Amino acid sequence: MSGAVGREAVFPTRQSLGLMKNKLKGAEIGHSLLKRKSEALTKYVSIPITISRYILTFHLLANRRFREITRRIDEAKQKMGRVMQIAAFSLAEVSYAVGGDIGYQIQESAKQARFRVRAKQENVSGVLLPSFESYLQEGVNDFGLTGLGKGGQQIQRCRETYARAVETLVELASLQTAFLILDEVIKVVNRRVNAIEHVIIPRTENTIKYINSELDELDREEFYRLKKVSGKKKRDVAAADAEILAARQRAAEEQAANPEAAAKTPSTKEEESTDVLGENEDNDVIF
Amino acid sequence: MEGLFFNVNGGYVEGIVRGYRNSLLSGQNYSNLTQCETIDDVKLQLAPSYGDFLASLPPNPSTSDLAGRMMDKLVSEFKYLTAQATGSSAEFLEYMKYGYMIDNVALLITGTLHGRELKPLLERCHPLGWFETLPALISATNIEELYNIVLIETPLAAYFKDSLSHQDLDELNIEIVRNTLYKNYLEDFYNFITTHPDFRGSPTQDVMAEILQFEADRRSINITLNSFGTDLSKSERANLYPQIGKLYPEGNYMLGKAEDPEGVALACSAVADYKAFFDNVQGGLGGMGGGSPDGKSLEDLFYQKEMELSKLIFTRQFTPAVVYGWMKLKEQEIRNVTWISECIAQNQKERIGNFISVF
Repeated sequence: MSGAVGREAVFPTRQSLGLMKNKLKGAEIGHSLLKRKSEALTKYVSIPITISRYILTFHLLANRRFREITRRIDEAKQKMGRVMQIAAFSLAEVSYAVGGDIGYQIQESAKQARFRVRAKQENVSGVLLPSFESYLQEGVNDFGLTGLGKGGQQIQRCRETYARAVETLVELASLQTAFLILDEVIKVVNRRVNAIEHVIIPRTENTIKYINSELDELDREEFYRLKKVSGKKKRDVAAADAEILAARQRAAEEQAANPEAAAKTPSTKEEESTDVLGENEDNDVIF
Repeated sequence: MEGLFFNVNGGYVEGIVRGYRNSLLSGQNYSNLTQCETIDDVKLQLAPSYGDFLASLPPNPSTSDLAGRMMDKLVSEFKYLTAQATGSSAEFLEYMKYGYMIDNVALLITGTLHGRELKPLLERCHPLGWFETLPALISATNIEELYNIVLIETPLAAYFKDSLSHQDLDELNIEIVRNTLYKNYLEDFYNFITTHPDFRGSPTQDVMAEILQFEADRRSINITLNSFGTDLSKSERANLYPQIGKLYPEGNYMLGKAEDPEGVALACSAVADYKAFFDNVQGGLGGMGGGSPDGKSLEDLFYQKEMELSKLIFTRQFTPAVVYGWMKLKEQEIRNVTWISECIAQNQKERIGNFISVF
């Protein structure tokens, strides 16, 4: 996995580690929300909304709406099947009652639309869904007199049946459009889910791992160096101690051999000890 | 006495029609048809009476194609009859065609009013209503021209002349024009069979008078019922009632005043037959057209009555009225078969029995 996603190009510093950790946390929150969302797809459960309230509500709404739409599309399609059948049959009734072709006359006498459709836009969590609404224009009755001699009633009834059929079609069209648009939106969202799950989170994790390992490496180097330095220091101190000791012995021997010069020696001893301290301080400064 | 010389001129035609009558579908045929599963089966069942005409249909034809071929057969048979008829019989057959001519002319008027290309409309015209000068009508560019051509060229001139002006064609709804023409036609036809020397006092007058009166009454009643809820005024409506029939004059007057289906029923109550229709219609007149599978609508009852009258014509001899009866029966048969095949095609078998069979 690490080979596939790689890591982000950052300097392995503590600051960027902090940044990455924040990023991972954000991605994980997002992912868990999306995970819940996918559960909500199959079964709507109420989720305590914490962060990303907007995204979450959007997903829930969209999904609930999506499922509702698919259910309603199913219903509308079945209804359309029935209604269209009835409508086609009522046309058969007309041709039986009239006993001739009235199609041309109907076409010619229909001047104004009686059945009309109004288009509206509905805002569902930021997605604009067009919705169509059908209504009857009252008072438009262009072929009211068709079939006056015979079959008039059948023609009027047939028209009503077909008006119902068209109404179902309009309803279905509205649902289908909403379905397509929501489908598109949900696809996009799902793509984001997958991106977070399979790309962003692993990459961030990798980066964190990388930064951690680099920092560990630095730590180890530092530790080793400190150890080295302190070892050297010890050695130096030991050498200085030995020198002082040797000097004291020599002085003692000299005193033993020449007690007159004894008054002079303590002064030299003091000078040497200050020198040693001075040396130590210098070393410290270097380190 | 009237039978003595009838066969000299009309015997052949009458004989042919009686032969045609035997090929009408019987109740047995219909019950076979209702058992069919596909349109192909229907085609097969129709083969004995329609063989040649259905042969060229593709497998599983549409209902309208099927009906079209059946109509073709009717037309070709009728054309043969008109070619054979002479004298007053020929005139009688000519009268039968006028009804279809009215439809055709109305179609062309509709086309002219809306400024359509008229040529394609000629194909839509009913073949029975075809007359030689019909194509001349399409040369008209405006309604006034058309009106003049109709007056000059068509046999329907008499029906136009007294009751419609060319402004009327422009202003009135085409349905009103059509029904006015039809009213004039029915009255003229009635006048023809009651006054023509060959038919006066003959069986032709007996049967045709009855059937034309029935037709007139049926139209009056239908127009009244169908006008409810439209902007057709009562006086306009009253002008469309043919002035013959059992309802004339009193019933027509009452129909003219009727404001609801009950008023129509009241107007018809004077005639026993029609009263029975209104009593029999189930679920009131609101359910006309037959909502339930077994309940007959008023329209169905009228068709039933028409078929019975047409069947009765065959009990008479020495009359061209048999052609009229045969044609009505045949038309009903086409409607029946269309209905049955429509039910089969749409898989709505529960109402398949809703046809009218009289044999």
